[in-house]
Amino acid sequence: MTPRVPLIRATIVVAALVWTATIGAAFSAIRRFETTPGAAAKTGPSWPDASTVPRQRGEWSLVMLVHPHCSCSRASVQELEAILEKSPSVQPYVLVYRPADFQAGWERGAVLDAASRLRRAKVIIDENGREAKRFGGFTSGQTLLYDRQGRLRFAGGITSLRGHSGINSGRVDVIRIASSGIGTGEHPVFGCAIDKKGTK
Amino acid sequence: MSDSISLGVDSNTAARASELQKEQLSARYRKVDRMFAVLLVVQYLAGIVAALIVSPYAWAGKERVLHMHVWVAILAGAGIALLPVILAIFRPGTVLTRHVIAASQMLSSALLIHLSGGRIETHFHVFGSLAFLAFYLDWKVIMTATVVVAADHFARGIFWPESVYGVANAEWWRFLEHAAWVVFEDIFLIWSCILGNRELAGAAARQAEVEYLSEQEQLKSAALEMALAEMQATA
Repeated sequence: MTPRVPLIRATIVVAALVWTATIGAAFSAIRRFETTPGAAAKTGPSWPDASTVPRQRGEWSLVMLVHPHCSCSRASVQELEAILEKSPSVQPYVLVYRPADFQAGWERGAVLDAASRLRRAKVIIDENGREAKRFGGFTSGQTLLYDRQGRLRFAGGITSLRGHSGINSGRVDVIRIASSGIGTGEHPVFGCAIDKKGTK
Repeated sequence: MSDSISLGVDSNTAARASELQKEQLSARYRKVDRMFAVLLVVQYLAGIVAALIVSPYAWAGKERVLHMHVWVAILAGAGIALLPVILAIFRPGTVLTRHVIAASQMLSSALLIHLSGGRIETHFHVFGSLAFLAFYLDWKVIMTATVVVAADHFARGIFWPESVYGVANAEWWRFLEHAAWVVFEDIFLIWSCILGNRELAGAAARQAEVEYLSEQEQLKSAALEMALAEMQATA
């Protein structure tokens, strides 16, 4: 047996332990990260009076708050697209956060592009997240559905996990409420924090 | 007399053919091990690049930190690739090496699928990887890879169904549906492995026969030369 053999064996044993530990640790870390929701909105029972978002009275309105650089919010916008296809009576407003002291154009990127492509959607740049505060939202992807009278009918996220698009109870609830006009709904919201209060 | 010679020839040739087949398979295993060692490193780097492109930062207002996916790509990616690459370098051609490579390749698929945000297109990596594993011509390696895929889907389907099926209330047996598509590909890959082995055995038998015939020709030539030399000496 050459002197290198025990060293090679030890290396393989260490690598085997690292390999096994990695699989367990990665599974657990990813799971914790993706299933931990952001802070839920603390919003009132009706459309906030202080809001400058031009709501069309007598129409269903949907407000989505997004951080333009939150990669998870691409899935939220994708889900919003699916909702809009099924809910023609809903007028969507996407409020895109931008800090006032950052240079113009900072908000450009995949999330803003996707939001701009949404049919019927009005994309509004939300300087310093003022509107997000008025709606009581902290987390990117926060979705609020208001009925024709401006009453809050749904508050929450419309993705099943962080950055995961696909059918989920948030999306289903919004479509059901908007089409039937019956009931209310809540769902955890997954995304980056728009406001530091949204950091958990 | 001629029968006993013939039997001796057959058993010698068969033993040589078996030896040649083992040599060729061993060389193939080592070559494919090296290929996967390179592929696993390339996938590791690709995973980091994908994470940096798709989700470089997590944000809290205007503050940003490196996204969890980047850490996962760096640390989990390295952890997954470490053992198979070390085995491919220090224990190439062994049964353990190729089975660890098969399992790691499937885990790399799972990681890449995750890093791409569960994009359906990234699931093609699983099917591509199975085809690459068939280069070994060892159907048991494909079975190992399939078991890892099925176990991953089963475990996630039970504890975390949204991450694999997109819905929270997927049926417990849904992993079987996903595994069935993998099995569909497996059937043809396993068949191709068996055919490949048969072809290899045939080529080894032909080579052993050629070697035997060439050896016999050399013996005949030597005997002829000796006879000629003796005739010349007596003349």
